[in-house]
Amino acid sequence: MDFKYDEKAEALRKQIREFVKENLPQDKERGMFSEEHDDDEWAFSMNMSKKLSEIGWLTMSWPKAYGGMDASVWERCILGEEAGYWGIPGLGMGVSGTAWVGPSMMLFGTEEQKKKYLPLIASGDPDGVWCTGYSEPDAGSDMASLQTRAERVGDEYIINGQKVWTSAAHRSRWCWMACRTDPDAKRKHDGLSVIIVDMKSEGVTIRPIPNIIGAHYFNEIFFKDVRVPAENLVGKENNGWNQLMQALAFERGIALGASSRGMRLLDELVQYTKETGDFKRSEIRQKLADLAVDIRALRILALEAAWKASKGEMVIYEPSRDKAYNDEVMEKMGIIGTEIIGAYAQVDPMCVSKKWKRILGMIEGNYWGAAGMAIAAGTTDTMRNIIAQFGLGLPRGY
Amino acid sequence: MDFGFSKDQDLIRKSAREFIEKECPKEKVRELKQDKKGFDTKIWKKMANLGFMGLVIAEEYHGTEGDFLDLMIFMEEIGRNIFPCPFFITVCQCAPAIEEFGTAAQKKNILPKIAEKGEIWSYAVNEDKADYEASDIQLSAVAKGDGYVLNGTKLFVPYANSAKKILVVGRTTQSDNPEEGITLFIVDANSDGVEIEEIPTAAKDMKCEVRFNNVTVSRDDVLGEIDKGWAIVDYVLQYGAVLKSAEMSGGTQAALDIANKYAKERFQFGKPIGSFQSLQHRLVKMLTEVDGLKNLVYEAAWNIDEGTPNKMLNSMVKVKANNVYHRVCFDAVYIHGAIGWTEEMDISLYLLRAKANENDCGGTNFHRERIAKELESYEPDFLAMK
Ligand SMILES: Cc1cc2nc3c(=O)[nH]c(=O)nc-3n(C[C@H](O)[C@H](O)[C@H](O)COP(=O)(O)OP(=O)(O)OC[C@H]3O[C@@H](n4cnc5c(N)ncnc54)[C@H](O)[C@@H]3O)c2cc1C
Repeated sequence: MDFKYDEKAEALRKQIREFVKENLPQDKERGMFSEEHDDDEWAFSMNMSKKLSEIGWLTMSWPKAYGGMDASVWERCILGEEAGYWGIPGLGMGVSGTAWVGPSMMLFGTEEQKKKYLPLIASGDPDGVWCTGYSEPDAGSDMASLQTRAERVGDEYIINGQKVWTSAAHRSRWCWMACRTDPDAKRKHDGLSVIIVDMKSEGVTIRPIPNIIGAHYFNEIFFKDVRVPAENLVGKENNGWNQLMQALAFERGIALGASSRGMRLLDELVQYTKETGDFKRSEIRQKLADLAVDIRALRILALEAAWKASKGEMVIYEPSRDKAYNDEVMEKMGIIGTEIIGAYAQVDPMCVSKKWKRILGMIEGNYWGAAGMAIAAGTTDTMRNIIAQFGLGLPRGY
Repeated sequence: MDFGFSKDQDLIRKSAREFIEKECPKEKVRELKQDKKGFDTKIWKKMANLGFMGLVIAEEYHGTEGDFLDLMIFMEEIGRNIFPCPFFITVCQCAPAIEEFGTAAQKKNILPKIAEKGEIWSYAVNEDKADYEASDIQLSAVAKGDGYVLNGTKLFVPYANSAKKILVVGRTTQSDNPEEGITLFIVDANSDGVEIEEIPTAAKDMKCEVRFNNVTVSRDDVLGEIDKGWAIVDYVLQYGAVLKSAEMSGGTQAALDIANKYAKERFQFGKPIGSFQSLQHRLVKMLTEVDGLKNLVYEAAWNIDEGTPNKMLNSMVKVKANNVYHRVCFDAVYIHGAIGWTEEMDISLYLLRAKANENDCGGTNFHRERIAKELESYEPDFLAMK
């Protein structure tokens, strides 16, 4: 047993803090809505991606051959923690570039695909930005019923259909798409494939969907006779479901960053209530202490999952567990935090002026975010269905 | 970072589990609820012969000088089977206090008796309010001649009626700071003036009231420095909070397994109840809480083992253990339906135990307050950056 990061990882933490000091003024909240919405924020974020790429941190855990640094799992964990705490933007390359497109491609992609797309992501350039096209109007939690059709014609796929809730589609060069390639498969799960679509292709139309606070974060995308070279198929045709489960596990393994984000909010709330005098009140102390326990538990669960994965164990239910738990903790933090800042919690999160903000708007940002994050990447209850089946061996209940 | 146990540690777990399952199956646990002592002295002797009592005591005092993690594993296994015995109070509370704070003579005299013979000790700290605040410690200890005279009452003292010795936390001096003026005494449980009465607890886990009427203690039987006993109390509390949480964590793991198994076996509406989604989601939340508690206990215990105990984490672990043991057992009973609310079912033993363990080494509000104090006093990273 060992619950300490190794020295190399801790040294990295120091370096990252130096980097933050120089490059990321902490006088402004970079919330979960602003960068996709706002051109200046997006430019700042891309600029950060470039800097992170130059140091090698953007894709540090990838092999050198594909633009990585062969960093250890633990170094990657440290980066995740620090990114959460300091709010480092630009690490995603869209929502999915670094987090699940790259890792999935390394597992399932052809050598040509790896050589073409991985260095692009690692470069931190706009051409390495990805969105993810799974959800459709009639395929949400029941993703396997998706209908967007990719028909093989000669050495091309012709794509027709619609995706929805596609985060950052309007900022992305590529879409990591789940399509139906065999409409006649007996089980709906067996007719799916993962295909890379160039968002500049003819026949792709993107329309914004303003989110709950009016920000342009996600989109709907229409595909009309979009022609994609057959070499853009990732992995095997009709094996998409298995590949997607792996990609979703990568996507749901966000709890470590989330827990250190939670630490930041907790630190801020403690400091704020110390300044207002509220920290002396026993109900406030007790609630913040309770929150501290939850955040610490979230962290240790995330680290446990990372450790299992680092040993090459299949982590089957853990990412879902951690995602669902994070949904709960974020909500609880949202409630406690907004109770503390009181009336200021109702201020429009899109308002830029600091005049009306408390704690740089972090608290209400988390509150509004929590409502959406419980749905994104699979709803909390979808996670629970998965855990029931794979963590507890219970019969499917729906 | 490594969440794995070593081969030796796995072996300790295996032998502890096998021993406890063999010697104290659930029928035995039920039987012992009616017992005058609340535990089986024959099993206790076997444990001593197998060297379990000396698990972490230094070789010099005839122990095997194992790691704190070994002790944690043992407690987890005790909790898994709710094995009733004075192991926690003797080996996890009193022995470490003596080993850390005792004089050379005290250590030499006391520890081998615990390590080899399983001499039973108890620890008396709670009083009327039954919390762990320094201000609650009012048992009076007045210097007289070569020793001290104790007067007062201690509550919820585990297995006091079987103990040879009781480590008593008394007040030698009243002062503005309640942490000042506390002293620990080693008292022979058979001394004149000591009266012991069993407190009727729901779990029948043998907790006693111990009354001290002009009990004299010699100067040699003071543990640590006069008036500076709070450091010992705090040490025992932190050490104990983590080990008690390990016991509780073991209990939650077992309770979850029992409920999950039952959910697959019990049929209603022609299906196993475990196929109903609302029940599945209950079980999933239990699993998440159990995983969280288990790993937090490991982290805290590892830190103690490394000599880097983390006060805030130790308190977090006990808060989590209190919340999770309750939650998991309440839900596990619910999953059983009416049969879960009977004496007959194992799950009910766990729920009773959850409440019995809750205040041991500090209740939830008490530890939240300790966490708050730590939060209050530390400089957050973001401020340093400004
Ligand atoms: C902020 C945000 C970003 C997103 N980004 C993307 C993206 O980039 N790409 C993408 O493809 N998708 C994205 N999504 C979509 C997301 O994956 C889906 O919203 C999600 O999978 C749920 O699908 P749905 O919205 O259709 O809800 P539905 O599936 O209709 O669910 C509605 C309700 O029913 C419940 N429910 C459904 N089925 C079950 C069941 N079997 N058991 C119990 N309860 C059930 C759900 O839990 C939920 O409460 C995003 C969503 C959000 C909120």
